[in-house]
Amino acid sequence: MKTWQRSLMALFALFAVWGGAAYADAPGAAPVEFPYTGNRTAVWIVAQLHILFAGFILGAPIFVVISEWLGYRKQDPRYDRLAKEVTKVTVILYSMTALTGGLFIFVLLATYPQFTTWLINHFFMVFAVVYPLLFIGETIVLYMYFYTWDAWKGNKKARHIALGVLLNLIGSITLFVIDGPTSFMNTPVKAEGVSPAEFLATASIWDKIFNYSWMPLNLHRLVGNVTFGGFVAGLIAAYMYMGAKKEEERAYYDWMGFVGNMIGVGALLFLPFMGYLLAYELCDYDASICPYMMADQLSMFFEMQGAMIGLIFLASNYYIWLSMKRIEGVENVRMTVLAPLVMIALPLVMTKVLTDYPVPDPRSLAFLLPLLLAPFLIGRFIPLTVSARTVIKVGFLMVVVGDAIWLTPHGFVPTGAKLVAELELPSDWNFLALMPAKNSAAFTLVFVTVVNYVIYNRAIGQGTIVWGKIDFASQFVLIFLAFSAIWTMGLMGAVRSLLRKYFHTYNLLPDFTAESFTPTLAYSAWWITAITVVFYLVVSFAILVTLRPSEAKGHAPEGSPATAGAK
Amino acid sequence: MGNVIKKLAVGLVVGGALFGVTRALEFPLVFQLMFVAYALLGSAVFILLDAPSLKPMSGGKSVIALVAFYIVLCVVYVAGASMWPQYDPEDEKGKIDKILKPKRAATEQGKAEELIARAKALDEQVKALSVRLKALGGDQAPASQGTGGSAAAPTSTGAASGDMLKVGEDQWQLQECYNCHKLKGEGGKKRGPELDNIGSYLTVEEIKQKILDPKSWMAEGFEKEYEKGKMPDKYKDLMEEKDVEALASWLVTFKNTSINTPKPIKKK
Repeated sequence: MKTWQRSLMALFALFAVWGGAAYADAPGAAPVEFPYTGNRTAVWIVAQLHILFAGFILGAPIFVVISEWLGYRKQDPRYDRLAKEVTKVTVILYSMTALTGGLFIFVLLATYPQFTTWLINHFFMVFAVVYPLLFIGETIVLYMYFYTWDAWKGNKKARHIALGVLLNLIGSITLFVIDGPTSFMNTPVKAEGVSPAEFLATASIWDKIFNYSWMPLNLHRLVGNVTFGGFVAGLIAAYMYMGAKKEEERAYYDWMGFVGNMIGVGALLFLPFMGYLLAYELCDYDASICPYMMADQLSMFFEMQGAMIGLIFLASNYYIWLSMKRIEGVENVRMTVLAPLVMIALPLVMTKVLTDYPVPDPRSLAFLLPLLLAPFLIGRFIPLTVSARTVIKVGFLMVVVGDAIWLTPHGFVPTGAKLVAELELPSDWNFLALMPAKNSAAFTLVFVTVVNYVIYNRAIGQGTIVWGKIDFASQFVLIFLAFSAIWTMGLMGAVRSLLRKYFHTYNLLPDFTAESFTPTLAYSAWWITAITVVFYLVVSFAILVTLRPSEAKGHAPEGSPATAGAK
Repeated sequence: MGNVIKKLAVGLVVGGALFGVTRALEFPLVFQLMFVAYALLGSAVFILLDAPSLKPMSGGKSVIALVAFYIVLCVVYVAGASMWPQYDPEDEKGKIDKILKPKRAATEQGKAEELIARAKALDEQVKALSVRLKALGGDQAPASQGTGGSAAAPTSTGAASGDMLKVGEDQWQLQECYNCHKLKGEGGKKRGPELDNIGSYLTVEEIKQKILDPKSWMAEGFEKEYEKGKMPDKYKDLMEEKDVEALASWLVTFKNTSINTPKPIKKK
């Protein structure tokens, strides 16, 4: 090992020891009292803002590097430009992630000093060594990736793409590492017959990280971040489209909006299932979490979530509809009649099958897979076809039906304790409020969206797409999607945190403060909206600062990929 | 415009039909209205699909449109969330306080707080005694004579036997057992067995054993739930010994043979 390497290591070790000593010696001073918001809401605001920025800077590079690779492979400069513009915004938001992250720790230490010290002590290696090192590594690679963009082109492009892959690798590991303490707070390690406190005393750091909800949370956040990044890319495109003065700029940002939306929707299709997996593991950890989440104090949060997901699916399909309208020759595109028939049959059949063979019983697949694949596998042998327009309209009808099923509650009450007959679904129809029906609703939304994209691809293949001529309303749809995705992230983040009930760490470390109760949905909605607006203001500022000047001067072809032999 | 009216009319007809059908099926009014709202949502979607294209905007006009759009979104989301039934945190605050009180008392901070509270109570008593002594003309008496009075006695001596059942019922509510078990016709979503006749099958000790070690007994017909460990094994850590005793003593009083409480099977 070289001298500088040893010195660097010693320096990190010194920081780690100093950090640990500083936390361990935390004085027993009384926590501060945040005015107006209270301590819990203050932590909530800063944590949520940090997660939003972090979600974007971790999600965006995933599709940035894919876009860069597509640009290189297809020799299409638009992909490279998209990748570079999103990276420009990412670099600015990276600073905001670090800033809000630091602020988060300060606020946490000031408001909940004992709990924060306790958590840091349990994850000392993570907080003092692994996480900082990863963050520093990610910073270095991100800046290298950004500043070598123009230098590493031509035959060096592959090297640049490899750097992007490395950035994503470090980013994903960072996410997985910090998810350790986060998921631990929800589902701390436990073992049968041993008290959680006793087991914790003997548990290794890996036991603590590899808890029940760690991997489901990793997957949920990973997919969620890509969705979120895609929709924010759509937002960037919408802003730039609205401000574009030239036809070619409008054409480019129309294309970018479409790609951003496609990435967002593509990842969104997996999100309900990742969310289901996380909820499944949480319920498996402690069955009492399930009623608290779905039938009791947080049940109306899930109603709101259903409304938001429904709106997001409606909007993303509406965007496809508007995109189709500007394809010349779309009226000639047709599809097998099986597609709309399966759409209509799906909620009913799937509810029945999943009631008889509940998840994760694989027998349900024996019925569902043939049904879902029928339009694609045997559709071509059936001569009866319908127009693309009809298929999409039936799809919209089924999205509304899917939303309706998702939203129908067991009772219009905020808690099961207040359930009376006048507010409860009749018992014969109670199946509408159960998980098989909710799963079939989610699957209907996903299936309709997939079919719409298949039709869209056929339309592109058979017709001519006119970029820059999309209905202007589509830009508001892109903005709506980004705003709604952020709002939903805030809502579900609040739900995940509230699942700890009156504990800082579930069943292990109680929160003795007067704020350890479940807030109302209305109160939460105010703060989620406020956080979303603040985030939006910062992102809007970042977009204007980074992209408007270059757009005003006219785009220089610096990001265009050159042929492999170019110097 | 004709298109909008046509689709609105279709929405109203479908909504009316859904209202009629759900009314005939004896859905509560709130659900009937919900189905009408779904029909109107569908109507709005189809109106939007065939709406004329929006003319491009630029400059100040697009900024104003954007700001107005954001304001609408914020208002709709806050109002939308506020329209759902709201959980009253006051329902929970008392419960949480009752659950956490003994735990808080057990912590160093809790002990310190208790000492401070007792010192304050003593101080108050001293002051009251001083006032009384003054009134009696004994203002020369040392104030310290008031210390060590009966107020210093511990306030909590455990639940008296007569209150045991009340404490047990309280625990049923505090631990939210009703979320999984039906009792007296209330609560339960078939997650756990109905308990109205549990007293005919199990003794206080056996119920205690089941609460503290959920794998010790299995309800007949709940094999899948038992295998999956649906009943949380957290109560031994969350509940005080006397509270488990009280809950078991209260549950054992339920001997309603008209209710089909599944037979418990000893597993450990």
